[in-house]
Amino acid sequence: MKPQLLHIFRNTPFGRETLLESCYFCRTIEVELVAYLPKMSKFLMYFENDVVQVDLDSSFLSSPDTAKEHATSIIRASGLEPLFFDPEDFTASTLPDIPTHFDYMCCPRSIVDLSSKIGLGYIGPRVRRIVQSARFPVYIPNPVFKEWKSLAVLFGGSANAVKALRLAMRLSRLSGYPLKVFTQLEGDSRQDYDRVIKENGLEEAVEDWTIFETGRLKANLYEVPHDALVILGAYGHGLIRQLAFGSKMELIQTVLPNSLLIVGPHCAL
Amino acid sequence: MALNVKVPSLRLALMRLIWRIDERLLLIVFAAIVGGGAGLAAVILNRLLFDIHEALKPAHFHWYAFILPACGAGLSALFLGYIMKEGAGHGVPEVIYSVCKRGGLLRLRSSFSRLISSTLTIASGGSAGPEAPVVMSGASIGSNIARAFSLNDRQRTTMVGCGAAGAISAIFNAPIAGIIFSVEVILGEWTPINLIPIGIASVVGTEVSRLLQGNLIPFSHRQFHASLLDILASVGIAVLAGLSSVFFTRLLNGTIRKSHQLVAPDWLRAALGGTCVGLLGLAFPSVLGKGYDVVSTIIENHYQSGLVLVALATLAKIMATSLTIGTGGSGGIFAPCLVIGSLGGLAYQRGLVACWPAVPWAEEGFFAMLGMAGVMSGTLQAPLTGIFLIVEVTGSYQVVLPLILVSFVSATLCHHLQPVSFYYGELVSQGHLLRPRTDARLLSDLNILELIEKDCVVIYEDMRLRDMIPIIEQASRDCFPVENSKTGDFLGLIHLNDLRPYLFNPGLHDAVIMGEMMDVNVPRVSPFDHMKDVLELMDQTHLWSLPVVRRDKFMGMVSKGTILDRYRKELIVQTH
Repeated sequence: MKPQLLHIFRNTPFGRETLLESCYFCRTIEVELVAYLPKMSKFLMYFENDVVQVDLDSSFLSSPDTAKEHATSIIRASGLEPLFFDPEDFTASTLPDIPTHFDYMCCPRSIVDLSSKIGLGYIGPRVRRIVQSARFPVYIPNPVFKEWKSLAVLFGGSANAVKALRLAMRLSRLSGYPLKVFTQLEGDSRQDYDRVIKENGLEEAVEDWTIFETGRLKANLYEVPHDALVILGAYGHGLIRQLAFGSKMELIQTVLPNSLLIVGPHCAL
Repeated sequence: MALNVKVPSLRLALMRLIWRIDERLLLIVFAAIVGGGAGLAAVILNRLLFDIHEALKPAHFHWYAFILPACGAGLSALFLGYIMKEGAGHGVPEVIYSVCKRGGLLRLRSSFSRLISSTLTIASGGSAGPEAPVVMSGASIGSNIARAFSLNDRQRTTMVGCGAAGAISAIFNAPIAGIIFSVEVILGEWTPINLIPIGIASVVGTEVSRLLQGNLIPFSHRQFHASLLDILASVGIAVLAGLSSVFFTRLLNGTIRKSHQLVAPDWLRAALGGTCVGLLGLAFPSVLGKGYDVVSTIIENHYQSGLVLVALATLAKIMATSLTIGTGGSGGIFAPCLVIGSLGGLAYQRGLVACWPAVPWAEEGFFAMLGMAGVMSGTLQAPLTGIFLIVEVTGSYQVVLPLILVSFVSATLCHHLQPVSFYYGELVSQGHLLRPRTDARLLSDLNILELIEKDCVVIYEDMRLRDMIPIIEQASRDCFPVENSKTGDFLGLIHLNDLRPYLFNPGLHDAVIMGEMMDVNVPRVSPFDHMKDVLELMDQTHLWSLPVVRRDKFMGMVSKGTILDRYRKELIVQTH
């Protein structure tokens, strides 16, 4: 069975762009797109050890009479077969459960707050929770549709980063797009990273590997191609370290306008 | 970007320490914490209810008093819908759903949302009880503590039970009732591994409540003496309580259904319900609020109204509770059951006295207690909870025999007339009441995708029998899926038995084409079908295996043998 990507459709021009992004993603790496057209303003996602309530903003429910028609035409025009998901389970009569067995999920940077807030540097709290709990990678698309023509992995050496690199290798094979790896040296030496790569048998993935030995990460991110899908691990550190030093993913998403594919700590590849 | 593979996080170290501790000991420690949290939630709710009720007391004497329940219910719905973004209701079905289907996962916000919303509803005069919201709160505390420490599904479910037990124990000062409610209504199973932590949570919850608000018994202790005649008469109150419970449950379900047909915002619907309750309260003030004072008065034999008024007040309480909860107010049905039962019991006793004035019947309080146990056992269809709760909250152990009789007769009658209790109605209709170790639960835990057998040899419709012979020689199965050679679409199945007559006639080897031999009407299942439906289909068609097809593409076979094998393994896991 083909892998599936879950897309929560928003029947607005902004929603059209994110659906186009999802369609491009699915077409490029041969994934089925499953669209959910919300009829209620909230839903629950039960993960292995967490339950996340997503309170959609009102734009997700706008013009319900044309939502299916719009979504179908966009998906068909992208050369995919439209598949729609209808929830079967309800925690309460107005609270559908969305399954978490999908292989990818597309989340705009925020699905709770009004779309006026959506911009670079803002990731909604629910999207964060989904990334932290999900067994699938979360796809955070550009606000405006733009085809990506390469893959870029920001590799920090953590267990999550290794998972992200493995995923990137797979996507590179499926899409035929080149893979570039970027690493910012922070305290550890190049040999340490080499050792991690060797231990995990990822030598093939780092043929095009840029290591920033000087400068700040924020400035060095300029080297990431503008038309690359950026793949990175997130929240791989412990809670205390995260509280003290923050998340690298959070910093990166404030700088890069590219589409992101985020591999969370519970992601199973 | 820094390597983090070398240093294990503090959280990981803590997790490892937790897993080294014996599981039972671990659950006992967490149960004590959860019980304490649930007890604290119960005390906070009690305090809030008391303070707000006292603050609103002067307003009850004005002409506009009937508006108060409307304001409370409307605000409660606004708070739940717009601030907490949760649905209305008391939440017990949500707790049971999470136990049955979601490994006890509950949202953190549920640990306090219902406390506030039910305070608004009940303190303003809405007819509902504080117990169900505090159960939701306690269960959510248990679930989230379990989540924070990464306990597994079974342990998390036990923690949900601990939260519920701690909450009921604390709010009623009734530890045994808390344990019984948790295992009878919430978890639906009695196992030593559950029972011990639940008992601990119950004790801690009760102690927290006693420590913070004193060792208060909700209703005064009285000694009742029941003769044999009174015990015989208790059969009548059992039937009356059973019928009242059925009427109450049906009216409540009907109000919920009808109110949802109203095209209006949730808060307006709740406010409309609250207005009706306020108007009922003008005629029968006893229907307002949780009504413990009414129960106390009846048990102490001080309730003044006559038979007809008491009967009407019973009816009014049933209506008021249905309107409050059914239209979207927040609160539970525990306390209303007690009030309905006590009023019903009082009416019954007065009826007996009116019919047979010469007989020395037991006191009004005695029949009120039986009525409470009867209505609670009937409405919840949980007789043990009814018995132990009434014994504990009234301290009247000497009437336990008629209490048992009334509770079981009422629960049986209700089960006959209304097979599903109010708590389980929606869950049963959606097939979500999946109790541990039941057939439905075991089947729901099996997934077709995990059971697909992929060792099938796929053949094409344009193949001849001659091409099939080497395939048959090597195949381990006696059925072959047939696909369209161009599109790859699944067309049907060929069974070896269908080919056998032609196999030994070489003259037919080039004449027989698979497309002509295949069974095109073979039932097929989708990978997302429920296992219960798949087995039913196998039984109906007398087939031992079925093809799994998705979007016209053959994925494999699913067979009864594999299902049974996994079913056994799952049963072993669940009974271990």
